[in-house]
Amino acid sequence: MSTIGFWISGVVGRTLAYSVPLLLSTLGEIYAERSGILNLGVEGLMSLGAFSAFAVAFFSGNPWLGVVVSGIVAGCASLVHAFCSVTLRTNQVVSGLALGMLGMGISGVLGRDFEGKVLATTLPVFRLPFLSALPGFEKHNVFVYASLGLAVVLWFVLFHTRWGIVIRSVGENPAACDAMGINVTLVRYACVFFGGVLAGLSGAYLSLGYRPSWSYGMTAGIGWLAIALTIFAFWNPLWGMVGAYLFGILYHLSFRFQAQVSPELLNTLPYLFPLVALSFVSRLAARRKVGPPASLGVPYQRGSS
Amino acid sequence: MKRFTVGVLLVFLLCFGFVALGNTQEAKIKAGFIYVGPIGDFGWSYAHDQARRIVDDTYPWLETVYVEAVPEGEVEGVIDRLINQEGVDVVVTTSFGFMDGTLSAAQRYPDKIFFHCSGFKRAPNMATYMADFHQVYYLNGVIAGALTKSNKLGYVGAFPIPELKRHINAFALGARRVNPNAEVLVRWLQTSWYDPAGAKEAAESLIAEGADVLAFTEDSPTVVQVAAEHGLPSFGHYSPMYKFAPDFVASGQLVHWEAIYLDFFAKVYAGLYTPKNLENVDYWWLLREGAVELGADFGMPINPVFEEQLRSTIVNDPVYGETSVYDLVFTLLKAMADPEYAFSPFTGPIRDRKGNLRVSEGVRLTMDELITMEWAAEGITGAWPGEPEK
Repeated sequence: MSTIGFWISGVVGRTLAYSVPLLLSTLGEIYAERSGILNLGVEGLMSLGAFSAFAVAFFSGNPWLGVVVSGIVAGCASLVHAFCSVTLRTNQVVSGLALGMLGMGISGVLGRDFEGKVLATTLPVFRLPFLSALPGFEKHNVFVYASLGLAVVLWFVLFHTRWGIVIRSVGENPAACDAMGINVTLVRYACVFFGGVLAGLSGAYLSLGYRPSWSYGMTAGIGWLAIALTIFAFWNPLWGMVGAYLFGILYHLSFRFQAQVSPELLNTLPYLFPLVALSFVSRLAARRKVGPPASLGVPYQRGSS
Repeated sequence: MKRFTVGVLLVFLLCFGFVALGNTQEAKIKAGFIYVGPIGDFGWSYAHDQARRIVDDTYPWLETVYVEAVPEGEVEGVIDRLINQEGVDVVVTTSFGFMDGTLSAAQRYPDKIFFHCSGFKRAPNMATYMADFHQVYYLNGVIAGALTKSNKLGYVGAFPIPELKRHINAFALGARRVNPNAEVLVRWLQTSWYDPAGAKEAAESLIAEGADVLAFTEDSPTVVQVAAEHGLPSFGHYSPMYKFAPDFVASGQLVHWEAIYLDFFAKVYAGLYTPKNLENVDYWWLLREGAVELGADFGMPINPVFEEQLRSTIVNDPVYGETSVYDLVFTLLKAMADPEYAFSPFTGPIRDRKGNLRVSEGVRLTMDELITMEWAAEGITGAWPGEPEK
């Protein structure tokens, strides 16, 4: 392969691998917010997922079991937030933050004995037929392909199916949905749970595939970035994918170009670029009247509006 | 129910009473350790905590407590808590960034003893210490120079500070002793001492640029794991990382902070060190004092997997003549561990990569010159923030 081809496949490959946790947790947050629930606990859910996946894989020797458990654990943990914000109608910012801290704390304390442990079997890498012919797609963890496919599927579901209409309507006008006989509480619970599952899976990818090992703080702010990307993506899974890969490519390039460009400048790029892009896109959005779901962060109480 | 409550209370009181009694009879010194990272980082803070456990177990008169993951700006508050609530007599702060906070606390508590790692500010009640790796990195460089096929060695560094520059220079000098064509490609993280994602992408980008042997300074085994995924040799940092990739960790740098702690606390206990005479107490311990060790794991200076290759690589060394790299490593190790410091990696003539003569023929750098080193040795490529022109 030519030097340029080699270079491109290297960059694309690293971008795909690095962006997975960011993409998965962004997709989850998009669904939660589309239903009207702001979940600031993504970072903690990821940490819980990463830890539980690692612990299960460590004892059972089966990383796939770890993946399944991480989704269940983080999904169930996110129900705490759903209970507080949907059923108890508390402030979503506070309960989300609390969930985040709780997740970080619990995984940190329980995970103490797993720090520095070596995993016997980690998630395998695959070559997919046809796809592996593309530069950068040669061989990857299954999460890489799955997250890419999931972004498209979730976009389709959200904008082209009845379920998607229901979710979006609940986030816009829960009272009208309620009047039409849609179970607002159930939809919101389900979306928050789904977001939690994806956050947990992105943690599992970190501790079983990307690293692979467990240590406290290994999520390194990705959960927070996911919340920012959700806004950047205008609550659209496809834009979420673009944002996650954009961040990933800039992150990787910041190391590739270090010999030529000042590392301090390069380090800021992955964060600076979304900021600039965000301000452009938001001007565009203002013209087209695209904004956050109207009822985002507002608890719904029957008969109060 | 009431009687039950009273009973429980009584049991508690009795327990506390006994614990208190036990304390007054045993511990004579209480020490508080403050770590910048989590003790599970498998790097810097982990190594300090392992050493804390050893001194705690060794000295029956010593009791220790620790606080982990303390942000560098918050150290003073943590010191206040350790002294006022835990009642510690000695505070050990284990990060360069704790320096000013420790000094200011030392001035506020003149009758307590402070022991700060890797800094340069001292006080009558504040001593400093460091176990430095530059000799070990030199030996790692010798091994790396023999193992590379592409003549490109990769190095992931957390921050461009003199300590790392010294270590990368030593690594490059060692590599070029056996392989004059060896280059060291450097990538900086500049985010945190613990940044697994950054270390992973930095290591991947080094490999993409042709590096086939990796070394690093960051507090996780990430670089070792990435190198192993690509089937490349690497060097562990701070703690034994052999187990993360038994076929690929060629060697590494290991620390024995306990060597310093055992000496220091014994002298505090014996009354040799008091809050009045620490102004000039500065431990700068190396191979000779047993504070650092060459190895993939304790007691394994070179991974047996690489022994054959290193034995069959014969070089013509300027000092020792025709020798295998394997033997050269142990000859140099012996020379550096010698009580007389028979050899120092930073012995002239050494030029930096801009051509300036940094160490004149036959001259050996002093400790002060080592700890303020900013220049980059020949053979290093990549950004070098703070590089002096002359």
